[in-house]
Amino acid sequence: MLWLLRRAIVILYPRASLPGAADCALDDFLRTFKRETPLSVWAGTVAGAVVFHLFPLFTVFVPLPAFLLPRRLADLHAARISVSSLYLVRQSIFLVKMCAGLCWAADPQVRARLALPPLIEDPRTWRTS
Amino acid sequence: MSHVAFRPRGEDLEDTFDFVVVGSGAGGAAAASLLVRGGAKVAMVEAGAWRDPTDYPQTAFGGMRDLMDNFGAQVTMGRALWPVVQARVVGGTTVVNSAICVRTPGDLFAQWETEHGLHDLERPLLAAEDRLEQALTIEEVPAHARGRSNELAVVGEAALGWPHRHVMRRYAKHCEGQGFCLQGCRAAKKQSLNLTFAPEVAAGGTVLSCAPVEKVLLEGRRAVGVTGTFRHPTSHARGARFTLRATKAVLVAASVTHTPVLLMKSGVRLPALGHFFRSHPGTGVFGVYDEPIDLNVGATQGWASTAFRDQPGFKLEVLSIPPELVASRLSGGGTQLMQRLEDFRHLAMWVVAVRADSVGRVTKSLFGNPVVHYSLNHADMLKLRAGLKLLAQQHFAAGARKVLPSIAGLPYELTADQVDLFDQAPLDPRAYVAILSHLFGGAVMGRDEATSVVDHRGRVHGYQGLVVADASVIPTNLGVNPQHTIMGLAQVFAEALL
Ligand SMILES: Cc1cc2nc3c(=O)[nH]c(=O)nc-3n(C[C@H](O)[C@H](O)[C@H](O)COP(=O)(O)OP(=O)(O)OC[C@H]3O[C@@H](n4cnc5c(N)ncnc54)[C@H](O)[C@@H]3O)c2cc1C
Ligand code: SF4
Repeated sequence: MLWLLRRAIVILYPRASLPGAADCALDDFLRTFKRETPLSVWAGTVAGAVVFHLFPLFTVFVPLPAFLLPRRLADLHAARISVSSLYLVRQSIFLVKMCAGLCWAADPQVRARLALPPLIEDPRTWRTS
Repeated sequence: MSHVAFRPRGEDLEDTFDFVVVGSGAGGAAAASLLVRGGAKVAMVEAGAWRDPTDYPQTAFGGMRDLMDNFGAQVTMGRALWPVVQARVVGGTTVVNSAICVRTPGDLFAQWETEHGLHDLERPLLAAEDRLEQALTIEEVPAHARGRSNELAVVGEAALGWPHRHVMRRYAKHCEGQGFCLQGCRAAKKQSLNLTFAPEVAAGGTVLSCAPVEKVLLEGRRAVGVTGTFRHPTSHARGARFTLRATKAVLVAASVTHTPVLLMKSGVRLPALGHFFRSHPGTGVFGVYDEPIDLNVGATQGWASTAFRDQPGFKLEVLSIPPELVASRLSGGGTQLMQRLEDFRHLAMWVVAVRADSVGRVTKSLFGNPVVHYSLNHADMLKLRAGLKLLAQQHFAAGARKVLPSIAGLPYELTADQVDLFDQAPLDPRAYVAILSHLFGGAVMGRDEATSVVDHRGRVHGYQGLVVADASVIPTNLGVNPQHTIMGLAQVFAEALL
């Protein structure tokens, strides 16, 4: 499941003049995301990735899962599915994009390119007394 | 100082107080602090952890995980799945809000009186708001902290000649414009209630954190306390049980979604419980400018207009959302999305919050969680669309090169000569990426037991010692940011208990 989600994210956020999702610490992030989000969020995001991979037949009219598409077609699929006229499909892809965005825009290289200061690591602390 | 955080199993806690307050957000902390000041023995019980500015996460992911209720993933069950955003932390949603302070508009008192039979609220509520403004520092957003997005909104507003222009006032002390309000102000400039009223309650009473209340204890029709189980803030493991008895009253202030459900789980039976849910659904338009805007520099929200509150019925504001959310908010995917993200530094986001007439309902799921049933009606969708068009016009008046409407069915970007295309945008809520952040109702005030849950002092009809003191009592939409009204009402209710 992690692999499916990773592939969907890498296709949705490819390297262009900005760094892509694959240039970020995506694997570590996805493991953390799985561990630390509520089950409903994780399940919804994975379901979004499954929809992403199953839908090329309806976007680029090729009966292959997205992870088997050649790069150009995968790119076209990513553009088309994210604006699908089917609301639930659009929402599913939105969940995948949200997960991706949380990783991508927190990455120091990406932030440097967007003229944003790097983030310090989350403290994960709270008052205990 | 008495603060009890997570306790492991076996270390059960039992105690007795005059008052037990459930929830430490705008309503709960404001009520509890007033009770403490009045010399009462008070416990304030909060489901989330107590985090100080040094504990706030900087990443948006960390903010959703550590500060938000259910990762911010609660959505409306209706035509569209719009997030219902609230916090779960000591200080409640004030920790993640933009701290905009607006007094209760005067017209509401007449409306509350004629439609809901609510008398004797205007004078005490406005007096409470006066006191709150003394207790919590209120400042106009300083010029040096406004940032370009806020400055341009002022330019656009002036060019269009909108009335009622004013500088935004916020609960902040020397805001530095770091633009992190929605993830908690690490600079400790924002006067969220975990930094103000909660310490006051802990100093004069007791605060329990990581302590979700499962039930209000009722003996017949009298509330006598609360019970629940500590939850670890990261592992979510169940800890010790706690039972807090209240000799005078239990005040429930667990938010618009949690308060009605907690009352339902506790066995409170009233026909209007969970009904009359309302909100200010909001969504935004990005303007794309030639100059860099750097929307995360400057106050998260430093400009607003109330000129359209009465007609057509919305509020306009600047909003800076974290780049992590911009990355998914821009439509598209693949290389096309990456090209769009290259505009990031040139984006300014301005939003409309609709004073919606639509009414929904909060119910309890099989697992005991809140479910929000809510859809915008046609008239409210017209307002939303009109607000977005106005924002686009404001962007162009401020010099934007193009705008990004983010509406399914419209082109990705529009130029100034295409602004009338907004009039053709679909009126289906599913075409919009909106959120609900200002919530009202579910346990509304009123005189009639058939149509309301509490009276004009928050007392639950037909029960003794049971008071609701949060946004769920508000019977109408305010059309302005609600924190001031919620805190004021909570203090009026608390005062009546002393
Ligand atoms: C992003 C955002 C920005 C906003 N900006 C502004 C603004 O600038 N100005 C403004 O006026 N308003 C703003 N608001 C709205 C405002 O913050 C809320 O309306 C207000 O905080 C609601 O107060 P409340 O007391 O009803 O609930 P909350 O403040 O949400 O507090 C409820 C508390 O109860 C706790 N709780 C829930 N269930 C239990 C339980 N079972 N046991 C114990 N505790 C429980 C929750 O964890 C929470 O801490 C904003 C809201 C959001 C989401
Ligand atoms: S804008 Fe920045 S400094 Fe100002 S209150 Fe918000 S987070 Fe704090």
